[in-house]
Amino acid sequence: MKNATIVFRSLAIIIFISGVAHLISYMTPKDDLKYGYEESIDSYENQKDSKNKNLEKRANYNPETDYLEGSWRISYYSEDFKGTVVYNIKKEGKRFNAYSYQYEDENGYTEQAENSKVLTIKSFDGYKGEGVYTVQYEQQEYQIECQIDMVDENTFKLSYNHYGYSDVETWKRQ
Amino acid sequence: MIEFLPKKLDWVDVNYWFYIFNELSLIYLIIPFFVLELIRYAYLKRLNKDLILDSIANIITFGGFFLIEIVLGLLTITKVYFWIYNNFSLPHLELNWITVIACILLADFAYYWEHRMMHRIAIGWATHTVHHSSPHFNMSVAYRFGPLDAIMPILFSLPIVMLGFDPILVLLSEVFVQVFQTLLHTEIIGKLTKPVEYIFNTPSHHRVHHGSNRQYWDKNYAGILIIWDRMLGTFEPEVEKVRYGISEPLKSNNPIKVFFHGISRLIGKLKKVNGFKNKLLVFIKPPDWIPTNNTSNLTGK
Repeated sequence: MKNATIVFRSLAIIIFISGVAHLISYMTPKDDLKYGYEESIDSYENQKDSKNKNLEKRANYNPETDYLEGSWRISYYSEDFKGTVVYNIKKEGKRFNAYSYQYEDENGYTEQAENSKVLTIKSFDGYKGEGVYTVQYEQQEYQIECQIDMVDENTFKLSYNHYGYSDVETWKRQ
Repeated sequence: MIEFLPKKLDWVDVNYWFYIFNELSLIYLIIPFFVLELIRYAYLKRLNKDLILDSIANIITFGGFFLIEIVLGLLTITKVYFWIYNNFSLPHLELNWITVIACILLADFAYYWEHRMMHRIAIGWATHTVHHSSPHFNMSVAYRFGPLDAIMPILFSLPIVMLGFDPILVLLSEVFVQVFQTLLHTEIIGKLTKPVEYIFNTPSHHRVHHGSNRQYWDKNYAGILIIWDRMLGTFEPEVEKVRYGISEPLKSNNPIKVFFHGISRLIGKLKKVNGFKNKLLVFIKPPDWIPTNNTSNLTGK
């Protein structure tokens, strides 16, 4: 077989396969990558107070696990971001979801976060749990499996390992 | 029925499916199949010391390969792939079944070409000859790797990343192709039905690839789909009984010798070739290439 034929056929195969993938990706309506939740939060302090009251009033409140709800603070020291992020953990159905609430850089400047869902805790027995954590790596977003280990009622460790990219984060109650 | 194909997927789900096929298959498919092969060898009175030592050497070479692969893989995936992906890539494709299937097809096609280059470029053959040097053909031979076997796949999968496919998806697809390939290393399965033999790479096609019979040299490079060989002129059906191994047999089960024999043979050839230009050409020319002005007796495959 002529070399030119081999090259032509190879290019045709590559263009066809990748073309189909790009065409379908282009034609498909984009899903919203961020799981925004619609409740607006007027002020952080108001929210903290009302949340505690609401928790106590709720009929299906399970004190053994639902104490996880509330605001949690994590410090990051990565090249991309140095500072702290505040997340709100909410119980939705049988799962706990954490939404980003506020960024604070190392100089103390704060900024409202976009309320995107970063963590879903699928199972939690009051001490340990498992879930899906959204991490950003090299500007890409990945949902990866993670483990939750309570240190005490105001601190838990979130750990993950994704193809050698592993970390343990310490979440502290705000 | 096919509405699910373009629907966005979560990484957790994609990882789950690849985990079942790529990693768990060793437990539920490959090891049981190898045990079955050993029973068959015993039944045919072919289970001897040479076969056992050969299988052990295969696994040890895999250990050496795996160490190199881990270092290279982590470096390239975390650095080079992502750098290319973020700077020299078409628009990034979102994760859905179409993207996953397209990525596997492209990884399979890249496998065809890197495999072909491993056979047709001397430096490639210096490492890939390790895989072909066993006189046996069973699942353990699939794990018989040379020291540089991890390099070609990295070079050939970079274009897939440039086409907009996520680097981790590309890596998972490459492993998927490799696992499929592993399952073809067996004499237990004869020829399958005609449509399957026409489209897919099968144990029969891959036995041909491992043949040292002259008509079987440099044929059937495919990973999953044999249609690449049919389209690009390298297909050969299994007709004559296959003699496994290489034209210049290794005759050793020493894992160190097995692992490095291709490289040491290439160095030996380099010493015999005259002239700097010819020495450079030895690396990139086909393994059986001999400079016209060289009087030394050089052998290739």
